[in-house]
Amino acid sequence: MGIEEKVLCSKSHEFILKNDNGSYTIGLTDYAVDQLGDIVYLELPEVESEFKKGETFATVESVKAASEIYMPISGKVLEVNNSAVDSPEILNEDVWEKGWLIKIEPTGDSTEKDDLMTYNDYKAELE
Amino acid sequence: MTKETFLHDKHVKLGAKMVDFAGWHMPVQYTSIIDEHNTVRQNVGLFDVSHMGEVIVSGNDVLEFLNSVVPQDISKLAYEKAVYCQLPNQEGGLIDDLIIYKIGILEYLIICNASRIDEDVNWLARNSKGYDVRIDNVSHKYSLLAIQGPKADALMRKMGLNTRQDSFTIKPAKISRIKVMASRTGYTGEDGYEILFENKYAEFLWDRILDQGREFGIKPIGLGARDTLRLEAGLHLYGNDLDENTTPIEAGLSWSVPKDKIANYNGKDVIMSQIANGTQKKLVGLKMLDKSIARHEYEVYFKGEKVGTVTSGAPSPVLGANIAMAYVKNDKEICTGATVQVMIREKLHDAVVVKRPFVCKHNKVKI
Repeated sequence: MGIEEKVLCSKSHEFILKNDNGSYTIGLTDYAVDQLGDIVYLELPEVESEFKKGETFATVESVKAASEIYMPISGKVLEVNNSAVDSPEILNEDVWEKGWLIKIEPTGDSTEKDDLMTYNDYKAELE
Repeated sequence: MTKETFLHDKHVKLGAKMVDFAGWHMPVQYTSIIDEHNTVRQNVGLFDVSHMGEVIVSGNDVLEFLNSVVPQDISKLAYEKAVYCQLPNQEGGLIDDLIIYKIGILEYLIICNASRIDEDVNWLARNSKGYDVRIDNVSHKYSLLAIQGPKADALMRKMGLNTRQDSFTIKPAKISRIKVMASRTGYTGEDGYEILFENKYAEFLWDRILDQGREFGIKPIGLGARDTLRLEAGLHLYGNDLDENTTPIEAGLSWSVPKDKIANYNGKDVIMSQIANGTQKKLVGLKMLDKSIARHEYEVYFKGEKVGTVTSGAPSPVLGANIAMAYVKNDKEICTGATVQVMIREKLHDAVVVKRPFVCKHNKVKI
């Protein structure tokens, strides 16, 4: 089963992926990165910082413009992908495994996931 | 309703990302802005710039009229030559920046920014009172393609261009047997041509140039790379770096303002006084010292004090650094290599004031 089949996606083009230890990996969808074009800069939050669902936690810049990235669910940052900060172009290669952004411990309740979509539904929504 | 050039369907078919630009539905990129940028620096790229405006000004008083609306001395513009100039208002602020070509004894072609066609034509008309001139906005009749890069000349010659022309000249020519006006100008800092021709030939010439250019590594180039190319070359973008509140002197365009021109023109007193006495603000180049990118309207600080505003900023693929242009307080300490700070998302990032252009230009060709 590919990662795409395990993620949930938000309308603002972030994905979450549940890890075995109960933490979640958050990243940008392949569609979002494709729309942005060459990713040249990434700003990620500090470990331990906490964000509510919908808050801006990161900024990604393409050649053209800066875009904010929003929390698809509330959480506390456990880990950030420093290699993506050093080489933001890896997002253009692969968003799921190499180009993820942060790992979080969820702090909200499960209803926060109600408005997230499976990857297939998300793709269908884009059509 | 958004406007479309005669090549709109070609862009869509090539899979370009389309955006609204100055009311036009235009390609921002076909594959990758960085890749397209490098193609123009190393080989040759093809741009659809048909959204730009073309205005023909003619008549018995055309020379006196044009001399009354631009700082450049049009009486010195020879047949088939081009000159970069601006259209100042009474206060010296800029309504637009343009290229004027002398295409006949009493006939001039103006190429202006897409976003400013209406303002320019209106301004020219309002200023033409008392002059025997005709002002014809012919923007809807012609398509404009830019062929830019070190291999642009070889490609144009392969396609039948047999003119021998310096940069900043325009000549009637034939490309693939189509009648065009070939201008050796551009907006990239590279050698190249801009060709103007009737709309009905647009799709034919577009396909033909891409086909014939294959051996030179040609690619179609979107507005995204057009912006990074012009920024690296230190060229201004109207609406970002120039507007009705900036004068050519503040913008670092004094080279295009002759000091000995006799004729009067709009804003001349303000512009001349700024040449003599200096300006409050000045456009400078910035190079970021970290990986952050300064963007339009970000604030610039020096020793804790706000001293200016960024007008354009982007990565420079050639330098591998992020560059910007900004209006800052015209203070010698700031303007000569100072380290300043740009406020980016509530944090200050160091940048050094550098000379423009940011990269070497290769667009001066003399036969």
